[in-house]
Amino acid sequence: MKKRGLRSEKPGKIPFLKKRIQIKALFSSLFVIVLLIVINCFFIAEEAKADKVTQSQLEEIEQQWQSSAHALAEVNCSSCHQDEATKQLVAKPTAESCRSCHENSVETFLLGKHGIRTLESLSPLTPAMAHLPMKDSAKDLQMNCNSCHNVHSVNTAVAATDSCLTCHNDNHSLNYQNSPHGGIIKNLSTLPRPNERAVTCATCHLPRTIVGETVLVNHNNTYTLLPRDRMVKEVCLNCHGVEHAYNSIFDDEIVEANFAHPPTQKMQTFELVRALEKKRSSKTE
Amino acid sequence: MVLLLTWFSAAFAVDRRSIFLPGETSNGHVLFENSCKSCHEGFKPVTNETCNRCHEAELATDFHSEKKFRDPRWAELRENLDVLTCTACHEEHVHMFGRGVHLQPDLCMACHQGVIEGELASHNDFTPDGCWTGGCHNFHDHRSISTGFLRKNLDRPWILPEPALPERTVEVKLQTPPEADLIEAFLKEGK
Repeated sequence: MKKRGLRSEKPGKIPFLKKRIQIKALFSSLFVIVLLIVINCFFIAEEAKADKVTQSQLEEIEQQWQSSAHALAEVNCSSCHQDEATKQLVAKPTAESCRSCHENSVETFLLGKHGIRTLESLSPLTPAMAHLPMKDSAKDLQMNCNSCHNVHSVNTAVAATDSCLTCHNDNHSLNYQNSPHGGIIKNLSTLPRPNERAVTCATCHLPRTIVGETVLVNHNNTYTLLPRDRMVKEVCLNCHGVEHAYNSIFDDEIVEANFAHPPTQKMQTFELVRALEKKRSSKTE
Repeated sequence: MVLLLTWFSAAFAVDRRSIFLPGETSNGHVLFENSCKSCHEGFKPVTNETCNRCHEAELATDFHSEKKFRDPRWAELRENLDVLTCTACHEEHVHMFGRGVHLQPDLCMACHQGVIEGELASHNDFTPDGCWTGGCHNFHDHRSISTGFLRKNLDRPWILPEPALPERTVEVKLQTPPEADLIEAFLKEGK
């Protein structure tokens, strides 16, 4: 009897259950959709809020700009943030805007590893693509002028060291701050621009180059890397004797330590030149 | 065949050109190895002009330059190694022996073998692969590594009496900053 009762209940209950499940499913999916719309609206609003500049942010930017070389050189907001033809506001100016004044910097940047992907119309370089060790927190940063330069404060002392260390995480980079070279700039860090005695990352990797009567900064970050004697010629010899420079730069351990101590190797090439000198001078005597 | 064609067209369609790479791309070039057209025009061979698009500055003072090999004294040495063609030493997508050079490190011996075999007493019995791996000679630019340069600069102190980099000066037009000119516009419509 019980069995029958159970059986007799079942056929009646199944359609009812089905209906309930259908209604439940309908409601829950509606609920999910509404929830998604609400969340989405919230995010869009947040995004818009984050995108739209606030008065306090503007004030901060204005202050940075007022104490910058850009302000004194009459490079005003409109120079970069306004389309010349249409007078439309340009929220995020690109490298093209920088190029209108800093042609050499942008063009040399595009030839190094930092800029080559942009030159070849690919997505900009990110530390995630690099072969050298990079900081995890920086993996997705995209390489453009803004990545290293705060274009409002125009403080190239920051661009020349701190910016590099935002991404670079290899031993040579990490050893810079406690190295003899790194020690020099510590006393000069309030300058808006590294002076002629400061040795920053940029000093060696984006060397200053005399072109005619101006001193330009070669932004091709690959240029002085190989062969190593190119860096000696372009950079080291400004401050060091050639023997010290070659004996140091051809020693991988010293390079990794960021030139923390004097070289220990004596390259044979100098012995040869010295022998040659001796021979010549004994001939003339 | 059909499968192969489908595979290739699929690769083009989803922009995965890396499957066409014949081998490992060298350090540096690897960053844009998917952009075939950067160096290749169809199936034509890569020319010096292609390399010069980016490497003009490195070759501005090329020591093994066209100028030198127009001289009949040296011209025929090009038959040993065509040093005026970039790809003679710098092939791509093959094994490199450092500095993007795919030839064995004794490549200088193609013309300079005499140097280690009696022509130059100081270099007698030097290893044939040591010219550039030893850090002594730079094929393209030996201005700061030539014997003459080293002789002139021997015995300099480790740090020069007046160490200084070229100084950057920025000429400014104003003494005090002007008013910022787009503040209103930024507040109204700015992002």
